[in-house]
Amino acid sequence: MATAIELSGITKRFPGVVANDQVNLTVEEGEIHAICGENGAGKSTLMKILYGMQQADSGTMKVHGREVRFVSPTEAIAAGIGMVHQHFMLADQLTVLENVILGAEPTKALGRIDFEAAREHLREVGQAYGLTIDPNDLIEELEVGERQRVEIIKVLYRGAKILILDEPTAVLVPQEVEELFRNMRGLKEDGATILFIDHKLDEVLAIADTITVLRDGKTVATVKPNEVTAHDLAELMVGSELPTPETTESTVTDQVALDVESVTVLDEDERVLVDDVTFRIRRGEVVGIAGVEGNGQAELVDAILGTRPVHRGSIKLMGEDVTLLPVRARRERGIGYIPQDRHREGLLLTAPLWENAALGHQTQEPFVNGIFIDRAGSKERTEHIRKEFDVRTPNVDVHAHALSGGNQQKLIVGREMTADPIVLLAAHPTRGIDVGAQAEVWDDIKLARSKGMATLLISADLDELIGLSDTIVVMLRGGLVATLDPAKLSPRELGAYMTGAKEGAA
Amino acid sequence: MSLSRRILLALAAPVVALVVALAMSSVVLVLSGSNPLEAFADMIGHASRLETMVDILNRATPIYIAGVAVAIGFRMNLFNIGVEGQYLLAALVAAHVGALVDLPGPLRIVFILVVAMAVGAAYSGFAGVLKVTRGISEVISTIMLNAIAITGLIAFLIREWQAGGAIQGGVGRVGTTPIPDSGLIPNMNPVLEFFTREIRQGKQLTGVLVVAILVGIVYHLLVNRTRFGFDLRASGINPFAAQVGGVPAKRMVVSAMVLSGAVAGLVGMTEINQVGFFPANPIKGLGFTGIAAALLGRNHPAGIILAALIFSFLDISSGVLQFTGAASREIVVIMQGVIILAAVVAYEVASRARERQEAKSAAEALGDVKPSEEAA
Amino acid sequence: MRQHLRVLSLLAAAMLVLVACAGGDAVTTTAPTTDTTAAPTDTTETTEATTETTAGATTTSGAVAACDSSVGLVFDIGGRGDQSFNDSAAAGLERAADEMGITFTEASPNDDGSNRAELLQLAADASDIVLAIGFLFEGDAAAVGAENPEVSFAVVDSPMLDFTDNPEGVPYGDNIAGLVFSEEQGSFLVGAAAALKSTTGTIGFIGGVSGVGGLIEKFEAGYQAGAMAVNPDIEILSEYITAAPDFDGFNAPDRAREIALAMYDGGADIVYHAAGGSGAGLFEAASVASDTSGSKVWAIGVDSDQYNTADPAVQEFILTSMLKRVDVAVFEAIRAQCEGTFTAGPTAYDLSVDGVGYSTSGGFVDDITDQLEDFKAQIVSGDIVVPTEPS
Repeated sequence: MATAIELSGITKRFPGVVANDQVNLTVEEGEIHAICGENGAGKSTLMKILYGMQQADSGTMKVHGREVRFVSPTEAIAAGIGMVHQHFMLADQLTVLENVILGAEPTKALGRIDFEAAREHLREVGQAYGLTIDPNDLIEELEVGERQRVEIIKVLYRGAKILILDEPTAVLVPQEVEELFRNMRGLKEDGATILFIDHKLDEVLAIADTITVLRDGKTVATVKPNEVTAHDLAELMVGSELPTPETTESTVTDQVALDVESVTVLDEDERVLVDDVTFRIRRGEVVGIAGVEGNGQAELVDAILGTRPVHRGSIKLMGEDVTLLPVRARRERGIGYIPQDRHREGLLLTAPLWENAALGHQTQEPFVNGIFIDRAGSKERTEHIRKEFDVRTPNVDVHAHALSGGNQQKLIVGREMTADPIVLLAAHPTRGIDVGAQAEVWDDIKLARSKGMATLLISADLDELIGLSDTIVVMLRGGLVATLDPAKLSPRELGAYMTGAKEGAA
Repeated sequence: MSLSRRILLALAAPVVALVVALAMSSVVLVLSGSNPLEAFADMIGHASRLETMVDILNRATPIYIAGVAVAIGFRMNLFNIGVEGQYLLAALVAAHVGALVDLPGPLRIVFILVVAMAVGAAYSGFAGVLKVTRGISEVISTIMLNAIAITGLIAFLIREWQAGGAIQGGVGRVGTTPIPDSGLIPNMNPVLEFFTREIRQGKQLTGVLVVAILVGIVYHLLVNRTRFGFDLRASGINPFAAQVGGVPAKRMVVSAMVLSGAVAGLVGMTEINQVGFFPANPIKGLGFTGIAAALLGRNHPAGIILAALIFSFLDISSGVLQFTGAASREIVVIMQGVIILAAVVAYEVASRARERQEAKSAAEALGDVKPSEEAA
Repeated sequence: MRQHLRVLSLLAAAMLVLVACAGGDAVTTTAPTTDTTAAPTDTTETTEATTETTAGATTTSGAVAACDSSVGLVFDIGGRGDQSFNDSAAAGLERAADEMGITFTEASPNDDGSNRAELLQLAADASDIVLAIGFLFEGDAAAVGAENPEVSFAVVDSPMLDFTDNPEGVPYGDNIAGLVFSEEQGSFLVGAAAALKSTTGTIGFIGGVSGVGGLIEKFEAGYQAGAMAVNPDIEILSEYITAAPDFDGFNAPDRAREIALAMYDGGADIVYHAAGGSGAGLFEAASVASDTSGSKVWAIGVDSDQYNTADPAVQEFILTSMLKRVDVAVFEAIRAQCEGTFTAGPTAYDLSVDGVGYSTSGGFVDDITDQLEDFKAQIVSGDIVVPTEPS
């Protein structure tokens, strides 16, 4: 078997930081190679160097035995390397076909796009790699897993034989992960080489042929999955045991904080998104909502937060009907919100941290003083959040985009927690952050719960859902189909409920 | 980031912009057969005269107000192209109504300003309402409203209202009924003369300058210091995050358009107070210059001052360069474009440098040994 | 729309009176056509006397004395190269430099016209006489003129009279003059030419901007009167591109083209424009309409001899042009300054001094020149009084 990629002695420095320190990596042709490591271990930097988005300070790169030095992704693409980013880069309003050919449009005379040729090529690519998707679907109508498939097809369409997947499973539910892995194996059989970044160890062990572990910018080990256990890998990555989300004892009280009664939400076309959902969350309780993405969880959260109108039913907060109140009134009454997409709904990326800390609470102490923003109070509170929630930043005046994903998430969690919410709506609170930060977020939620916070938790991480929740309800096609006790539940069992394979009492 | 480096970065943009602009202007001048050194000397010599400074300030005043009007919209990603129509319509109505009412001087001044703001606000707010209720882009609606205002409403109204009997002179001085002198904002010559010398050539420093300064201060406080301003900026940076943060999106759109229009209504006050009525051939295009000033000034209250002064200086220089034969008007227009381009590019480069610098220092905060993969 | 413009009509009428007074012979015949009852005041009579001298000098312009005056000229928006108004002024300026040896500087305003006052002041700083091209300079010229009493100011197309305290108007200052044209007289002649040449009995008029103190309406009035003097039953289509304060009508060839095509379509075979830069659209329309209909239609130009300045492809469709001799006015104003005969207030340039007229380039009106010259003589003699308001 020939060598597809050979990196040796790759070093990349940022001021005060060595992101990659003498990294060596050898990837054989036709294998699935996992890159493991905590956030901050240097995985993404390494992949960006390989894809030409950044240049190494020293070291050599060989692709198919030929030494290369990419100064832009264009050159990497030309060398047959394609990358699927964690955040999809698709135009929602365009079709699959249009997205795939975007930037690589085949043209006919007079510069007209040759859609027929494109469609044909797309069909060939799909057939060759066993990936099926309707080229005429609009991206906005696709599920997350399908969008990811479009991204993969996009790079294959451009002739990539080496695929880099950046945390491909972070956005997927278990069933979609299995689908992805099936596709990855199919790609491998058809001759593709896959490099993927992941820090979910069971997944890595399940799919990878070879695993390279990075820590602090160095390659600490390259192992075969049959030689190691998840425990071994975890130790290699962090040097200590993985924290668990398990809560110890119940803090559930009798006082109902959030009362959702027969709530139905419709979209613009009157299609049912949330179907007659009823549940209660008491103070000190965590209710987890399990469900495959796109089954109404997001819309339910929107309805409780107030960004989406409730068609039927009522929402009560501490006994007060808030169904018709605007978002601001609800937030002032004690609804906290950790959005699933922190860039889209959680942050003002080009505003300083202290303004981000005020977002959502800008009408409340200590952020406000009459009609004015209390800058001193806001900064003080942000300093507090920074210390308490370990947000790594030089000061609170830097813009939010300067922080790493984990630190951004900690800022958001800190912002919501310090406001002492009565009800916290937490959507995927640990998505895409490293194990260390993950544990901190879990601890924060546990602590607030013990003080009486009611939490609605949505997560695709079933271990997290089972570990943190006092009660789990399952959503399927907009309705609640089962209420389960997490203490007697395995992730596999939960997955069966989520896909409707198993039914229970709602 | 160290203080010295911070200062260096802050100064880099304007200095680079100036150097690039001077270099490119020189090339343009040389290519057109002029001596750039002479041209620059003419410009500076002319601008350093007190009377010219009055001209520059008078010209900068409405540009500044227009720039702020546009910037208010920009702050929440609304593109109010309609400042043009709003200020002309507002000035016409305010001048007409202001001449007809019988109020003592100072009250009349305030009344005219309030009417102008109300008309501008209403006209602009209409575009905001169309956006939130009908989903019509404010870009489209304000362009259409400009056309309706300028070729329709104003043309019609000015003919109706001229019937009030306003002949201030011959054909070139036709307009609405003159506002009594007591109803006009007094010029600021005494203030300026107190600090300098007697102003000659009958030049009058517009009193609307005070209004412009107030507009700038209020703009700064409102946008940067108030809750409303926070909501406005948050909506501009990330409308989704603002919405889940409790900012009422639709109300903000209408509020921003109303505010933008209210400020736009003041743009025409300089001319009204200068000539004493709304002329049939008012100075047009200030709304568009305002867009350029807001862009060049980066929506910053002080930045727009600088931009307005630069535009004004270049406009005023056009005359002296023509008379000394240093450059034709077309060359001056090219130079204006070059300077704007240079400034925009320099700011873009500097702001990217700042972003990189911030990301690096955030990465440094993670500790000396702990590397960051998101540092870049 | 135009009918209720009482004030503007009044203004136009007032202008006419003054122009007529200044024009000398026309006084007696013009006055009855207006509804102003104002009799010439002492001031205007003084003006009249001096103006007549100036006007007389025009016709006999031969040898002129050398002059070392410095002249500052401020163009209308657009400056040199407009093939019309500004170029005509520049021609007069250059002729003065050639024939009298004056020195001059020149400038044109910003696109929005915001720096007119500054330019006038800069011109005044370095000149003995400042010429401002276009009535839009009126207010600024009056103000700057008052500040610079030692410099003479002359504004084209404005009488430069202050009506504030005196309904008849008084000059803004002893050093401020207005150079006005009897466009209705020139328009009368091209209107007559149109009627004589028309085979369909329908002709058209396109105005640039309506409601500018009756300025463009004057063209329409003369054109109408001239056409009806030849054929009382002639049908005249009339349209304005924009209304003040929208001045785009002076520079909207595309809109002029559409209007003209509609007029040709509606049976007109000759269309006259008083729309500045928009005229190019008319000429193009004439060419297009001729091609599509198979029978030749005509256009009439304005201000300068547009046969000479238009695109050669449309030359053959330009029947004639109504000439407005801005060059003559500019030259004469400079000469008056040199010779010490500069007079405040309005100076008229009418048919009698060839301040207006019609062009013969292309030879398309050669067959009717006799008739046109006959009309001209009648106007100069006062037998025909050309109205300044359209009927």
